[in-house]
Amino acid sequence: MKKRIFLSFALLLVLTGVFIVFSISAGSADISPDEVVRILLGGASDDTSEMILLKIRLPRTFAAAVLGGALALSGYMLQTYFHNPIAGPFVLGISSGARLTVAVALILAARGAIVLNSAVMAAVAFAGALAAMSAVLLMSSKIRSMSLLVVCGVMIGYICTAITDIIVNFADDSDIVNLRGWSVGTFSGFKTESLVVCAVIIFAALAAVFFMSKPISAYQLGESYAVDMGVNIKAVRIAMILLSSLLSGCVAAFAGPVTFVGIAVPFLIKMLFGTAKPIVMIPACFLGGGVFCIISDMIARTVISPSELGISTVTSVLGAPVVLMIMLRKNKERVRD
Amino acid sequence: MLEIRNICAGYGKREIAHNISFTVRGGEILTFIGQNGSGKSTLLKTIAGQIPPLSGEMLIDGVNTAGINRSELAKLVSAMLTDRPKTDMMTCRDVVETGRYPYTGTFGLLGDDDRKAVADAMEMTDSSELADCFFTEISDGQKQRIMLARAVCREPKILLLDEPTSFLDIHYKLTFLEMLDRLRREKDIAVVMSLHETELAEKISDTVLLLKNGYCTGIGKPSELLDRKTLTEHFDISGELYEKYHG
Repeated sequence: MKKRIFLSFALLLVLTGVFIVFSISAGSADISPDEVVRILLGGASDDTSEMILLKIRLPRTFAAAVLGGALALSGYMLQTYFHNPIAGPFVLGISSGARLTVAVALILAARGAIVLNSAVMAAVAFAGALAAMSAVLLMSSKIRSMSLLVVCGVMIGYICTAITDIIVNFADDSDIVNLRGWSVGTFSGFKTESLVVCAVIIFAALAAVFFMSKPISAYQLGESYAVDMGVNIKAVRIAMILLSSLLSGCVAAFAGPVTFVGIAVPFLIKMLFGTAKPIVMIPACFLGGGVFCIISDMIARTVISPSELGISTVTSVLGAPVVLMIMLRKNKERVRD
Repeated sequence: MLEIRNICAGYGKREIAHNISFTVRGGEILTFIGQNGSGKSTLLKTIAGQIPPLSGEMLIDGVNTAGINRSELAKLVSAMLTDRPKTDMMTCRDVVETGRYPYTGTFGLLGDDDRKAVADAMEMTDSSELADCFFTEISDGQKQRIMLARAVCREPKILLLDEPTSFLDIHYKLTFLEMLDRLRREKDIAVVMSLHETELAEKISDTVLLLKNGYCTGIGKPSELLDRKTLTEHFDISGELYEKYHG
């Protein structure tokens, strides 16, 4: 048991390292992996390669790793919260809620010729994510069935997306320029400032979630068990809601919609590690989400190079089959019961 | 020792059990007897802290529980609940270990004491050989043993069980009660439970409390209370029906 967990962590770390190097060396300008390693270690190289590497590819890969981790972690918390393996920030409409408020904020800012800084963007996204989450929670108090809850979440997502589309369509052309790439989802074009803000928020949230792994493990068993174990269930619930909204809001604000990572990664990680214990799952999901998104991003920008696929196109192709697997497995369990 | 003083239990404005009082000493078993809906579960849930009491007091060894914080209280009172635990990919040992929760540190990692308590509880409930099986893959009777081990490894002063023998066949019912009987003697635990099987309640309980429509209609030794006349009245059955199937 312990050995499997140790080996799985080792595997994830190796994969992360290997794919960071691959991801940085892949692209239209040819830079070989050993040159990448040399530049990263501060060795001499020609200036264009170094520029492309440090200013474009490295931030992008870093963004994919950190935001991917945030998505997977947010998905894991939502699944735990709702005791539902197919809950996630995207299917519950939380990402779409965040995008709606960010779109409104961006357009208003463009009108007033104000440039929003990244911290404000993150705060706006957090508010949107929380609003959508509240709608889902309100419905979950009325609906007992978990699959119905997911359908409701998807509907909330559609409503938010539709309103976002309408707003974007009515906005002036000049306002939309900022929104186009963002509306299909991408890890490219991160300013250093945004990247720093994202990283600070996400790593702080990761630490907070990790320190909650004990009460989360109690919550996992079921509410009455958590109460029996002396857990303040209200506090745990609120913390889980706030942290998962913060994480998924942050991703939605800076990378746009990235689908299925939040559902597929926690499941794959659980299968790899052979356990659902939060103290293992929390760091593992974060690492796994990172690897998943680095690979997806690499595929997105290389298969039809020099053009690019939307990141969600790739994550859907990789992630949706996993979601189908989860549902089939769940169904089998119910039959066995 | 557990003292319940004038507890009214229910949900929000709906009072289900009215003005219940009793005392259970360490090593004793008190059993609630009553029809479905008589308030047994509501009362047990209230004592377990799952729902707040509407009024009344609860004292453990003379200390009012209202003044004890949640995690300290969890060390004193342990419950075996009717809800199924959600045990995705958990082995039986993992499930039992969750019983030690109030004693573990920030990250919930078990120390040597905790591991020993878990091993002892599994030994005592005759479930050691199930330790590495997945909880979802064992039988109902085995699950009850694991859940008992989970409740007991906390080394509580008070143990609460809500219909622990429902869904078990006669073999598991009797071995389960035998285990419980041994546990409370060896560990000096005060046990409060509800049982549907009056004939088993009579054998194992020191005290029975008759509950009807949320009111206590009798409390005392089982030999004095569980006679034919009281039972037929208490469960609203005719003497004829009682004779035919139960007498």
